[in-house]
Amino acid sequence: MRFTGASMKFSCEKATIAREILIAQEIVASKNALSIMSNVLLTAVNGTLVIKATDIKVGFETHIPVDISTEGMCTVFCDKLAGVLSSLPEGEIEFEQDEQKVIIKPSFKKVRFQIKTISSEKFPELPDISTDSFFSLPSKDFKNMIQQTVFAVSDDETRYFMNGVFMEKNEAALIMVATDGRRLAYARKDLGLPIPEFKGVIIPPKLLSIIAKRAPDEGSIEIAVTEKNIFVRFGNYRLSTVLIEGQFPNYHKVIPDAQKNSVLIKRSDLMEALKRVSIFVEQKSRRTFFKLTPGVLELSSEESELGAAREELPCQYDGPEVIIALNYKYVEDPLRAMSSESVLLEFTEATKAITVRTGSQEDYFHVVMPMQLE
Amino acid sequence: MNPLWFHVDLDAFFATVELLDDPGLLGKPVIVGARPGGRGVVSTCSYEARAFGVHSAMPIGEAYRRCPGGVFLPVRMERYCELSRQVMDILRELGPEVIPVSIDEAWLDMSGTGLLYGSPLEAAKLLKRRIREETGLGISVGVATNRLVSKIASGLRKPDGLVIVESGQEAAFMQGLPLAKLWGAGEKTQTRLRESGILSMADLVAADQPALSRIFGEAGARFLHSAARGIDPGIHGERSGSRGMSTETTFERDIADGEALDAALLEMACALLSRLHGEGLVSRTLVLKLRLSDFSTSSRRITHRSEFIDSTEVLAEARCLLARLWNGSSPVRLVGLGFDGVAEPAKGGQGELFAKDDRKGRLEQVIFGLEAEGLVKGQAAPRPARLIGRNLRGRSPGGNPFHPDDRAQ
Repeated sequence: MRFTGASMKFSCEKATIAREILIAQEIVASKNALSIMSNVLLTAVNGTLVIKATDIKVGFETHIPVDISTEGMCTVFCDKLAGVLSSLPEGEIEFEQDEQKVIIKPSFKKVRFQIKTISSEKFPELPDISTDSFFSLPSKDFKNMIQQTVFAVSDDETRYFMNGVFMEKNEAALIMVATDGRRLAYARKDLGLPIPEFKGVIIPPKLLSIIAKRAPDEGSIEIAVTEKNIFVRFGNYRLSTVLIEGQFPNYHKVIPDAQKNSVLIKRSDLMEALKRVSIFVEQKSRRTFFKLTPGVLELSSEESELGAAREELPCQYDGPEVIIALNYKYVEDPLRAMSSESVLLEFTEATKAITVRTGSQEDYFHVVMPMQLE
Repeated sequence: MNPLWFHVDLDAFFATVELLDDPGLLGKPVIVGARPGGRGVVSTCSYEARAFGVHSAMPIGEAYRRCPGGVFLPVRMERYCELSRQVMDILRELGPEVIPVSIDEAWLDMSGTGLLYGSPLEAAKLLKRRIREETGLGISVGVATNRLVSKIASGLRKPDGLVIVESGQEAAFMQGLPLAKLWGAGEKTQTRLRESGILSMADLVAADQPALSRIFGEAGARFLHSAARGIDPGIHGERSGSRGMSTETTFERDIADGEALDAALLEMACALLSRLHGEGLVSRTLVLKLRLSDFSTSSRRITHRSEFIDSTEVLAEARCLLARLWNGSSPVRLVGLGFDGVAEPAKGGQGELFAKDDRKGRLEQVIFGLEAEGLVKGQAAPRPARLIGRNLRGRSPGGNPFHPDDRAQ
């Protein structure tokens, strides 16, 4: 390696590097100091510090400008590095490699940290892909699609093929779907531009959560999909993850074509009422009763030895009287992801899937399977 | 009340079903199993094929070599399950307790039914006639005071056999048998017995107990000691309690062939799920039991967060459990699959989105339900393609793009 023999030395503003190391910390996840996967790879070259982290599935890379005295590379135990950086006040910090350690010295304080390193040669190669495989879309749209779907992913490992968000293209539209088998979240965005062909893929939520949290609202985000990986770029960041293998269920079949009845209700009213009524809802099944009569939605819990809750809400509804039992979390989750003033609950009968959507926006909706009333 | 057990074994079951559905095959050697040219095994074959030396669990290529003129048919598990359920239903009408062993085999507790049916001989004849008339299938029946002896008895005069061992005659019956008929003692055990100079049941009864223990281990020796005396050592399938439901396959000879084990798992997964759903029950826990040639027995279980609804799922889990229990080379005597925590579907349950449409399990469930109500009887049940082929062991998010060996980190 070309840095052999050299001892890396650079300095930069604390805030600049701290922000990136905190993201890396989310990626590595492992706190085992002996594992190379708990370390970040730091490469100082050409006035730039390249930071890489991986948990072997998700890969992360970012570039920040630094003042380099000696080029070089090494890996550092991320957990301690993050701890050191978040404990320091703003100001310039110097990093210097000293054999098996990295010395960290702020210019403004008489403090000195040394962190153990592991040889950079042991750091796994992150998968890469050529630049022309990427397509781009507005960062804000992609983030929104993630926020509308990622919460619905199943965490049941025996249904591993539902442990991620399914993404596919339909002509010029990008579609994302997540389900745990009982509820489903659907997001679609027409990009108005051709998207390269790719087969539908299942993306682990870890990568998506990082994008939702870190990608800017302005600008664009670039995506490339291969058979085994997805690559994402924005700003100075390059992220990738191994895709989940397996067959995502045929979600088209469970999206109701048309619903007979609809309820228009103020989103904040419904969320607050759910919060109150859920205090008395049995927390294992979370079964909550939604009783509809013209103009009124009545939410209620089952009566238990501990008590009961019941609340009436005004709504726009003129269909037949009906009671639907739902897991309140399956209603609350999409309501929280939405931002509209009012929401539309659509249904055909108490035993069939209901649809939750915003009054206007057609690109996002949620499907929830009711529970048995008895 | 004297215990009275019937062991009922369907004769050449899969092959007979194929003959029933296509009488043009009558008299021909019919071999049901993997496709010739593939790597699978024979599931079952007609008595005509057995005359060529073909037997179940034989590699399909070998079967083809021995019987090139045979009619090779694929396994139609759905159809077999359907007929198996009909047979089990008849058994349930006749006896107070039925313990299904596998898709084509069951024990029937007939204790105390003398007043209803007369002698065991009359009861057995009635059973054979009803099954023949109502399903077209032939059975062999073994009757005895315990399950082991009844099982051995049913295997003596196949097909269409009936062997009754009178109470008190169990030991004499066993001693009249060649050693090779000792059920539960596979090829290896047989060889070791011969090597130890034990050539007959009488030799086995006379054998020194500690010496047997040294050769066959504690459990093996105990089994042989009891079995040779016609005493049920009680190592076969658990009695069907209200909370469990299981099935098992004892191989004719101990096998170390993954393909044959897989075929057994497939068969059991279908049969088990069909029984579960046929009785309108659900379960979230699957148990796999494995007994090796030295009688060492182990089991593993997995509990899902939601109920098992499709046989693909059951098979995939069964394979994972097997991979954890079996080293891939030790000869296997028996493999069993069961559900635990079997219960009525919960009230106030959460509905499943992919229920009737996408997950074919629900479809299976619905069809089984309809069949149970007699609504679609006689119509051909749907036949999903063979459920094999998907290796689910390398599950969870994908593979590792970096170092295949670093996964454990």
